[in-house]
Amino acid sequence: MEDHIQNLYEVLSKVEGYVYPNEIELNWSILIVLYPYITGLVAGAFILASLERIFKIRILKPTYGIALLTAFSFMLVATMPLVSHLGKPLRAYEIMITPHSSSAMAIFGFVYLWYLMVVLFLEIWFDYRRDMVIWANESTGIKRFLYKALSLWTTDISPKAVALDDKIGYIVTVIGVPSAFLLHGYVGFIFGSIKANPWWSTVLMPVIFLFSAMVSGIALVMLVYIVLSKIRKQLLDMDCLDTIAKYLFYILLIDFALEGLDQIHRIYVAEESFEALHKLVFGKLFYSLFIFQGLIGTIIPILTLGTLQFYKPKPQIRKVIYMILPLLVLMGIFFMRWNVVIGGQLFSKSFYGYTSFKTSMIGLEGYLMAAVWLIIPFLILAFLLWLLPPWKKIETNHD
Amino acid sequence: MNDETTKLSRRDFFKTGTVLAGGVALATASLIPYDGLLFASEAPGAKGKWYGIGIDINKCIGCGKCANACKIENNVPRDPFYFRSWVEQYTIKNDGAILVESPNGGIDGFKQAAPTADIYKSFFVPKMCNHCAKSPCTQVCPVGATFETEEGIVLVDEEYCIGCRYCVQACPYGCRYIHPEKGTVDKCTLCFHRLKKGLQPACFEICPTEARIFGDLNDPHSKINYFLKNHTCMVVKPHLNTGSKLFYNALSPEVR
Amino acid sequence: MPQHIKRLIGVFAVFILFFLVLQQVLKPDSFGELGHFRAKAIYENSLRPMHYTVADSCTKCHKDIRIDKDLGFHIKLKCEVCHGPALAHSLYAGNFKDKELPDSLTLYKPGERKDCAICHELNAARIKIQFDTLNTTMVHQIDVLTHHPFDPKTKVPFKCIECHNPHQP
Repeated sequence: MEDHIQNLYEVLSKVEGYVYPNEIELNWSILIVLYPYITGLVAGAFILASLERIFKIRILKPTYGIALLTAFSFMLVATMPLVSHLGKPLRAYEIMITPHSSSAMAIFGFVYLWYLMVVLFLEIWFDYRRDMVIWANESTGIKRFLYKALSLWTTDISPKAVALDDKIGYIVTVIGVPSAFLLHGYVGFIFGSIKANPWWSTVLMPVIFLFSAMVSGIALVMLVYIVLSKIRKQLLDMDCLDTIAKYLFYILLIDFALEGLDQIHRIYVAEESFEALHKLVFGKLFYSLFIFQGLIGTIIPILTLGTLQFYKPKPQIRKVIYMILPLLVLMGIFFMRWNVVIGGQLFSKSFYGYTSFKTSMIGLEGYLMAAVWLIIPFLILAFLLWLLPPWKKIETNHD
Repeated sequence: MNDETTKLSRRDFFKTGTVLAGGVALATASLIPYDGLLFASEAPGAKGKWYGIGIDINKCIGCGKCANACKIENNVPRDPFYFRSWVEQYTIKNDGAILVESPNGGIDGFKQAAPTADIYKSFFVPKMCNHCAKSPCTQVCPVGATFETEEGIVLVDEEYCIGCRYCVQACPYGCRYIHPEKGTVDKCTLCFHRLKKGLQPACFEICPTEARIFGDLNDPHSKINYFLKNHTCMVVKPHLNTGSKLFYNALSPEVR
Repeated sequence: MPQHIKRLIGVFAVFILFFLVLQQVLKPDSFGELGHFRAKAIYENSLRPMHYTVADSCTKCHKDIRIDKDLGFHIKLKCEVCHGPALAHSLYAGNFKDKELPDSLTLYKPGERKDCAICHELNAARIKIQFDTLNTTMVHQIDVLTHHPFDPKTKVPFKCIECHNPHQP
């Protein structure tokens, strides 16, 4: 509290031009950058998994289970940055009790629960049920109990039951794809619907969020797959990686085109806010927008992946490229969220000045807290991979 | 035969055309056009009071007493980042440069921003919640912790606000802040506690030049209606269609 | 229907039911009566403490100052503009006429140059003379730095109120 006020005085001394006095404080900080970032990873990872399941791209098989579990573990923490940034975190339940129908944010709880429970949970459950029944018999102690509980103390693994599971799982995935679109398009709408803020208020925002989500999710699964194979000392399936890279390339291109369109439109119509935003982009956002998001996060990956479509170097070299590129893309998308969330608050709604962003290391809204919410999903993922290893499953063909 | 069909089709065309045009006219008539003074004449369906605010920029001397009184009356934190009401000083120089400032919300007074010879024009603009009739802030509240009363006052439910700050982002006028101790959002209530006792809000009570006027827009004889009829009034950021009920006399286009 | 599907549906049904019950239990009592908010919040908002009073309550006791003021330029000024919030002061003084006023309730008596400058300092933004159909307002503007800054003999800085009666300047 004292620190917070101290911070604000420091920010006040750095204000350029004029901002409304209440705008000196940046209301949505690093945690709200994380929120669309994490939900984006979820949506993207899920869409990659559904490519295998619905669109029958069999070559992606090695990443199917990993993608689902990654999506699930990130989904479990997706609300946490939101809740921990609330002024009154203990009142968070109200959003489920009395959701306001005209608020874009109110539906979040329901969209979230739908996606977590109906889509992700059910798909994983139906996918793993037979294996859990089998594993329950093979293991002992707590693990045995977990499998028993997760399979709801049922043991029916007759071919008929398994076939039914597969069918329901397929239906869930079919529902899941529009749900993933809804989840992340909706997150974009939260920003895109704020007419007071010209940096956010664009109809393209949900679409841009959706495609950047797919980009980041695919990159994450790619990375997790490579790291996991290294840990398990397994050979990488280069065909699978090449295919993922191909999809990453296409979606990255669409994402880049959409964002480019947004900016070109902004520049061409040059509305009231144009001068203020122009100065913002070339000033406070220069490095995060042009260098991190644009050059390192988008242009370099597009050029590299584009080259790989025509010219395939040795697997050894491709492997290194596939290690580095997802990192660049993940960083680029993080800065894309940063530029939207933080950038949208740096300029005054009076268009006469700029405030600056400062947050402390510690505290509920500090960098450490943000790091915690980025690390916890990986711990959950490690646990899930231990409990439900996709590589120990009985091979099924989702047909 | 050919002629016949063309005639027919032409008549048909005119017929459909008229019907279409009529339909469009009807449809547009049912859409209420934007009118800055829409709510000055009639509140949508309300029978009782419907409060509006008038500020005469010509009369404001920038003493900042309103901002100070607001802070005292409503226990607003004294730090210069939290204001329900503040005053801005606009200075437009001869070279076209626009200087805006509001040191500590104007509570400590203002210094002239440029030498008199360089000034094209200069004026003060008191700012406060516009108590919009189509307020973007109440629209986005996820839990229903901020709302408009029947009298057209936008209030906050401190006991129910979760502090998500979405409304702070949605307000185009920068009139909301998060109370640093309470963790909930805070804004101008038009001194609701005074209104209910039949008193004026503190900033209106205190204004030494009577630059601030408020009253019932439904009452044709109220001070606010008198003010609106006799001045050329404008709201800030009319293009956002917020249904603002804070009307400024002599508002310059530089004010945002 | 296989057993595991039945159990799964059962688990989901229990969760949904539990949620619906919770929704009813946790919903605040006056919520939704007048709209999507707690109707009681309107009442709670009207209960906040006041600090400023109304002009009449000052002049009930301070009649002499009122006469002073009514004859001068400051006729329109309310006492609290310069003296600060006076509700506690007026309530105490009104209710306990014979008792001494506690120090904490004594009002601020502005007398420094800066106190007057807040309205009267020369500033291009400050209105000059406005001849308006409704109202004529005029505020004297003084260059605070050059307007008799100090006593020419003793070099002690002057206060505005040494020459101008603030109630009748």
